[in-house]
Amino acid sequence: MTILTSAIDSPNELARVDAQVDWVLIPLLVILLGAIFSFEFSLLVGDWDFWVDWRDRRYWPLVAPLVMVTLPAVFGYAFWRLVRLPLGGTLSILAFTLMAWLSRYLNFHEFAGFPMNFVFPSTYIAIGLMIDCVLLLTGSFFFTGIVAGFLSGLLLWPLNWPLFAPFMVPVEMQGTLMTVADVMGFEYIRTAMPEYVRIIEQSTLRTFGDAVVPLTAVFAAFLTIMVYWFWVWIGSLAFRLTWLRKVI
Amino acid sequence: MKFIAKLFAVIQALIVVGVALSAQLAYAHGEKAQQPALRMRTVHWFDVDLSVRKLEVNQTVVVKGSFIPSESWPHHVASIEDGSAFLNIGVPGPSFVRLETRINGTPGIRSTTFKQGEQYDFEVTLKARTPGRYHLHPIVNVKDAGPMIGPGMWIEVEGSQANFQNSVKTLFGHELNLETYGFSNAAGWSALWVLVGLSWFGYWLLKVPLIMPRFRRVTELGGNADEMIATRDRRVALGFLLVTLLLIAGGYVYTNERFPVTTPLQTGKIDTAILKRESSPVLVKMDDARYRIPGRSFRIALTVTNFGTSPLSVGEFASGSLRFINSSVHKVLPKDADDLVAPDALRVEGGPIQPGETRQIVIYADDAMWETQRMTTMISSPDAVVAGMLFFFDAKGRRYPVEISGPMIPLFG
Repeated sequence: MTILTSAIDSPNELARVDAQVDWVLIPLLVILLGAIFSFEFSLLVGDWDFWVDWRDRRYWPLVAPLVMVTLPAVFGYAFWRLVRLPLGGTLSILAFTLMAWLSRYLNFHEFAGFPMNFVFPSTYIAIGLMIDCVLLLTGSFFFTGIVAGFLSGLLLWPLNWPLFAPFMVPVEMQGTLMTVADVMGFEYIRTAMPEYVRIIEQSTLRTFGDAVVPLTAVFAAFLTIMVYWFWVWIGSLAFRLTWLRKVI
Repeated sequence: MKFIAKLFAVIQALIVVGVALSAQLAYAHGEKAQQPALRMRTVHWFDVDLSVRKLEVNQTVVVKGSFIPSESWPHHVASIEDGSAFLNIGVPGPSFVRLETRINGTPGIRSTTFKQGEQYDFEVTLKARTPGRYHLHPIVNVKDAGPMIGPGMWIEVEGSQANFQNSVKTLFGHELNLETYGFSNAAGWSALWVLVGLSWFGYWLLKVPLIMPRFRRVTELGGNADEMIATRDRRVALGFLLVTLLLIAGGYVYTNERFPVTTPLQTGKIDTAILKRESSPVLVKMDDARYRIPGRSFRIALTVTNFGTSPLSVGEFASGSLRFINSSVHKVLPKDADDLVAPDALRVEGGPIQPGETRQIVIYADDAMWETQRMTTMISSPDAVVAGMLFFFDAKGRRYPVEISGPMIPLFG
C-alpha cells in the first residue's frame, strides 16, 4: 500500500508555491514565445519587416497581420481555456518585440553594420491588446476573430504609419523620384539583395485610383479573421486537456 | 549508459570548439565556388579598376569598368535579357554607401536588363563608411540565376566611423542625416506601445499567484469559468481597447499632419542605354578548344579574319575573370596580390593577321591560375562549353574585344 502525502500543509504555503510557479513559468513563457514567434516571423515575413524599404502599401500590410495573429490565437486559446487569462496576444507580441529589437540591434546593427533607422522593427503590440481585450469582453473566440481579427488587419498600416511616414518623404536622386527609404536601400549596400528582390507594390491596372492601402487593409482584415479562427482551432487541438493531462 | 551519454557530450563539445576555433575570416565572395562553365559564359568583365586604393572615411572611390553579357549565355540559366538584372557591389555589409551608379550613362538605381553581346561601361561612386580592408567586387545580379561576380580588388579605409556623414535633401529642401533620421521617432512610438502592452500585462501580474490557482479554478468551474472575470477586469479591458484604438487613430492623424506629402516606395525596371560603337574589324571563329590537365594549359585554335587596315595581334585572353597576357603585345601587371592576371601566360602561334587576311592561329593560355581558381573543374561540367574574350590590338595600340565560345575537350595526358 502506498501513502501519498502533500508536502504543502497550509494555504499560505500553497500560495507561496503558486507564486513561485508563476515566477518560474512566466519568464520561461516570455522567452519561449519570443523565440518561437521570432523564428516564425523571420521565416514568413522576413525581409518585409527587416528593412524600411520593404514596407510597402500592398504586401507588408497583407502578410504581416496574417502571421502576427497566429501565436496570439494559439496561445490566446491556451491562456484563456486553461487559466482564463486574456494575455496570449499581448504577451506573445511583447516577447516577439523584445526579441525583434534584440535581433535588429545585435545582428543587423552591431554585426552587419546597418544603421538602426534602416532596420528597426515595426510595432504590433496593439494587435495583441485588441485580441486580448475583445476576448475578455466577449468571452468568444468567434467574436474575437470578427472584431479583433478584422481590426488587426485593418489598422496595421495606421498603427505603423507614425514610424514609417518619415521615410516616405520624396527625394530626387539621379533624376529619379525616390523615397527616403528607397535612397537608404540603394545607398546602404546589401550584396545579396539586388533591387529586384524586393517584393513591393508595383503599378497595376487593378488598383482603384490610388486607394492601395484601404483596399489592402480591408482584404487583409477579412483574411485575418479566418486566419485567427484557424489558429484558434489549431490551439484547441494542441491544448486539449485530455492530451495535456496525460503528459502532466 | 551514463558513460555513453557523457562521451557523446564531450565529442559534441569538442566538435563545437573545433569548428569555432578553425573558422577563418571570409574575405572573398565565393567567386571560386561557381561552376567554371558559368563563370566563363555569363558576364565578361574588363578594365575594372578603382579610382583609389586607400582612402579615409567620408572620401569617395569610383569603381569603373566594362562588362559584356556573353552571347554564349547558357539556355538553362535565367536570361539576363528577359528577366531582371542589377549592377551591385560586393563588399562586407554597408562598409561603403553607394552614392551613384551609371551604366552607359543611365542611372543604375533600379533593376534593368542587359543585352547579350553589348558592351556596358559602368561607374559606381562609393563613399567610405567603415574603416577596414575590403575585397571589393562589381557584381551583376540576375534574377533567378544569381550573382555574376566580377574581379575583386583590395581597398583600405582609414579613419573613424564615428565621423561618417551621409545626408540627403528632400524635395522640400530638408537635409536629413541618413545615419540617424527617423530612428528616435520610431523608437519612441515603439516604446510607447511597449509601455501600453506592459501595463496590460502588469495589471494581470498584480494578481500573482496566477497560473496554478486559476488552473485549479477553471477546472473546478468547468463551463462557468467566465465567472472568474470580474467587472473591474471588463472595465479595464474596455479602457485598454479604447486607449489602443484612440492611440492608433491619434498617431495616424498626427503623422499625416506632420508629413502631409509622402510617396509610395518606388520600383520598376528601367532601360539601360546601348551605346553605338565602332564596328569591329575582326571576325573570329573558335575551331577547337582543348584543356590539358597536367600542364594547366588551354589550347584554342581560331580562324581569324581581319577586315581592318592595320595588322592585328592577340594581346590578351580573358575568361571567368582570369586574364592571360601576351607580353609581347600588351603589358599588364597585377594591381595587388590577388589580382587574377598572368602577365606573360599567353602564347600565340600564327603571328599578326594582316589586313584582309583570314588565317588560323593557335593560342595557349598556360598558368596555374586554372587550378588555383578552381577552373579545372570545367572538365566535370555537365555542359562542357567554354567562352572568353580575346583582345586584339592593331599597330597603333587600339584594342578590339571579341568573344569566342565553343565546346571544350579535356586532355588527360
